[in-house]
Amino acid sequence: MSINNRKERPTIGQIMDENGVGRRRFLKYCAGITALMAMPPGMTAAFAQQLRAARRPTIIYMPFQECTGCLESLTRSFAPTLESLIFETISLDYNHTLQAAAGHAAEEARHEAMQEAWGEYILICDGSIPTSMNGIYGTSAGHSFVDQLHEAAEGAAAIVAVGVCASFGGVGAAYPNPTGAVGISDIIKDKPIINVPGCPPIPEVMTGTLVSFLASGVPDLDKYLRPKAFFGNTIHDRCYRRRFYDMGLFAESFDDEGARNGWCLYKLGCRGPTTYNACATIKWNGGTSWPVEAGHGCLGCSEPDFWDQGGFYEPVTSKLFNDTGQIAAGAVAGVAVGAAAALAANRRKKKLSGAADKETSS
Amino acid sequence: MTTATQTFSRQGASGTDLSPSEREEHAMQAFAQNFGAYAALNLEACIHCGMCADACHFYIATEDPKYTPILKAEPFKQAFRRESGAFAPFFKLLGLKSKVTVDQLEEWQELLFDSCNLCGRCSLICPMGIEVAELIEIGRRGMAEAGLAPKALAERAQHQAKTGQPEESVRPYPEVLTDIGRDHNVEIPLDRDSADIMVCLPRTDLEQNPESVAAMARILNSVGADYTFRSDALIAENYGYYAGSTGLQKKITQRVVDQAEKIGASLVLVPECGHAYTALRWQAADIIGEELPFRVRHITEYLAELLADGKLKLGKVNGDSFAFHDPCQLVRKGGIMDAPRELMQAMGVDLREMENKKGFSFCCGGGGGVNDLESARPLRHRAQELKLREIDDTGARRFLTSCSDCRVAFNDAGEHFNWDKKTESLVELVAANIKE
Amino acid sequence: MTLLEFARGPMLHFALIVFVFGVLWRLVSVSLLGWRKSRAEARNPTGKAITGGAIAVGNRSWPHPEFLKRTAFGEAVGYGYHIGLFAIVLLGAPHVIFWKNLFGISATWWPTIPGGIISVISIVTIFLMLIATIRRYMHPPLRRISNFDDWFSLAILYALMITGVLAVFGLGGRYEIILAVHIISFNVLLIWFPFGKLMHAFYIFPSRFITGYKHEKKGAAS
Repeated sequence: MSINNRKERPTIGQIMDENGVGRRRFLKYCAGITALMAMPPGMTAAFAQQLRAARRPTIIYMPFQECTGCLESLTRSFAPTLESLIFETISLDYNHTLQAAAGHAAEEARHEAMQEAWGEYILICDGSIPTSMNGIYGTSAGHSFVDQLHEAAEGAAAIVAVGVCASFGGVGAAYPNPTGAVGISDIIKDKPIINVPGCPPIPEVMTGTLVSFLASGVPDLDKYLRPKAFFGNTIHDRCYRRRFYDMGLFAESFDDEGARNGWCLYKLGCRGPTTYNACATIKWNGGTSWPVEAGHGCLGCSEPDFWDQGGFYEPVTSKLFNDTGQIAAGAVAGVAVGAAAALAANRRKKKLSGAADKETSS
Repeated sequence: MTTATQTFSRQGASGTDLSPSEREEHAMQAFAQNFGAYAALNLEACIHCGMCADACHFYIATEDPKYTPILKAEPFKQAFRRESGAFAPFFKLLGLKSKVTVDQLEEWQELLFDSCNLCGRCSLICPMGIEVAELIEIGRRGMAEAGLAPKALAERAQHQAKTGQPEESVRPYPEVLTDIGRDHNVEIPLDRDSADIMVCLPRTDLEQNPESVAAMARILNSVGADYTFRSDALIAENYGYYAGSTGLQKKITQRVVDQAEKIGASLVLVPECGHAYTALRWQAADIIGEELPFRVRHITEYLAELLADGKLKLGKVNGDSFAFHDPCQLVRKGGIMDAPRELMQAMGVDLREMENKKGFSFCCGGGGGVNDLESARPLRHRAQELKLREIDDTGARRFLTSCSDCRVAFNDAGEHFNWDKKTESLVELVAANIKE
Repeated sequence: MTLLEFARGPMLHFALIVFVFGVLWRLVSVSLLGWRKSRAEARNPTGKAITGGAIAVGNRSWPHPEFLKRTAFGEAVGYGYHIGLFAIVLLGAPHVIFWKNLFGISATWWPTIPGGIISVISIVTIFLMLIATIRRYMHPPLRRISNFDDWFSLAILYALMITGVLAVFGLGGRYEIILAVHIISFNVLLIWFPFGKLMHAFYIFPSRFITGYKHEKKGAAS
């Protein structure tokens, strides 16, 4: 790949014009994005203007301890959409899966792109960062993921941690976390980070976040650094089966009458009440369906430690401990201590009673 | 500094002056003797619902929250939590329950003695089934051992333990008894060497109501009972019970037991007295440590038995309407619910029941030794007002009861309130209507 | 570890251990303090006394008519919120699910009441609790005998009720935090239970029974 002079790069507006995307179509797209992110309608014009003026940004996509599912989701599209067009307008200067180059040449290209757009490129990460034993559990190009992350983050304008692994550690961090896997934000503390968790995240959520960032910088984030536009409500609050929960109609098992009637899946372990994501509204596969609609409870895959919240078929309020006889031991101890207390009390009673007569009451 | 509002004396069971720490120690001894499982359960089960106050006539009459029954047991509860409760060591170590101080005990004297008749109404209302009245009895025991029982009760208990009667009498009681027999022309068997039945007498009747004594003897004679009075165990009352002194109560009881054994009695009859029944029937065996070799019956239940067996025949009373007071220790706590009514029914008494009757009757106000406490008089009168009004509300013309201490209480209240009714004895009524 | 993980994980485990340990300690230590059998000549035989005790377990639940006028209000309020609490805890669907999971039982027969009714019961229960709390402060005998135990036990109940209502109605912030605080409140209840007046849940049976038994032996009023 040749070096692209940033100053010479076309703006997104110019790319739109070159590809014959009319003004009306572009505005319609912007209206769609702003609606998706629950921005006020009046913002559409400003959003469109900013997006048109944005230069084709450099994107460095670093994969770490991941399964590539997030990238698959990101690039998935049933039909060419305007999102993918925009996606193609970005200068994806580094991505293991998508790029043609490999080996030293690829690394060199990455360093060139980083240098050239120093301070302005966007770093997208997926996968967790293993930290145990000096990070030896994950290496690429002769360096640990930890080191690579530090190096890549240095000149980034912002980091987007895509997927629950990059956000919080994900499956790598599940008990007993042998690799010491952590999320990006656990390592990088001095750059703006946007977490876009999910296992994987919804494609439109990822692209919508990116586009939003291009147009107006870092969006409103919740305490887990997730864009509130997509992660502001729980699945439970937007679930189409909510009225069944409120009426107390639950499926007791898969394929029972309740399940067939589309009743609430709370008893079958749905994590909806404690999961913040957009699945209930945006849905998957271009709005085709989503887990609950397909008859399976939400796994809570956009939440930290979602693998360790008890069995997926146990409700969100189920006990999260494993009693190996401690309670029974407590009972036995209670009886023993009680007996000892009574013994001591009786002895003390004899001492305190002195030489006086025996009691008359029973 | 004490916050007690009533004057109190520093005499008690021991009779000598004790130092404050000695008093605390002695109180603790008495409490400790009562740290049994049942007392513990009673103390632990309290949920502070305050309903016991709504059963206590002292609270109802004054609306003063310090008369809440369970509060009376507080020193005992505190001692228990500190010494014998499940978490006693922690309560002690962390200072969560302090030792019961002599100031506290002095403060509690008026609660345990002046404002409690040991009537047991609080035990009936408690939703947790706590025997509140018994906890108060135990509280009194601590006070007595600490020398903090009221002077009047303590002195009388000591005197009765020593001599068999609570106070010096102008003339020896056996002589008084003989005179009654002569004056009322009724045979009085006194000091027979052996008899099937031994009978005791209320000293208030000996002194104030000789007709009652005569009446009881007349009835027993008419049914041919094989009975006797014994000079050495003549008095039915037990001031040890009132004062809360287990030791003195035992001595007084032992005298009765000894005499009854001596004459080979199979039955000891309790006269018209309330607490004497409790002391003898329900507490004596446990206090002396062995089963009694005789039965204990109250005169009313004995007479009712005779009536049922046809051995006693009664004529009809002339159409007067009567109200009847159920003495607490006999009815509510003693279980003699129906005997008085069977007797009254046989006599054709037009009985007008009170709103709170039988087991729920309000105390006469004089029980538990309150009759003997001058300091308690004003408070007692306030509580008794409720009772007098209740009796008036029945619309009855005459008023009956079967306990001499109740009669004392009602007479005193009647005088204070200018009441229009005289308190009569059921036994006297029976005696007046025996059909030969 | 999130707050919710902590609440339903190690803290719940600890609370259950303390509960079981403390309750048994308290019950055993009281029952071994020595029972005295009365030597007095009973009026009624043991069989009748046992029946009397059993009856007392039931009928002490409501005052005798003679006491009713003065006590009906307090009793009604107390019962009201107790019944409300039991209905919510034993018949509310989320709680039934919790118990079944906790004890590892299937119990398909266990009924539940619709959530809307539970919500109404919850509001009524909180209202009755408020009345009871105010009464505890305003009614002189109650105020006089109330101690830390009384107020603290009430406070825990309020925490449970309020977080429960907030959770169900989706108010008060993030659901998983409210839920965690709700479970933590329950854990605090479990831990406090053996040490205060809440033990009356256990004591009520032996206390009523034994007093009823003793009274029936004497033929006394019960």
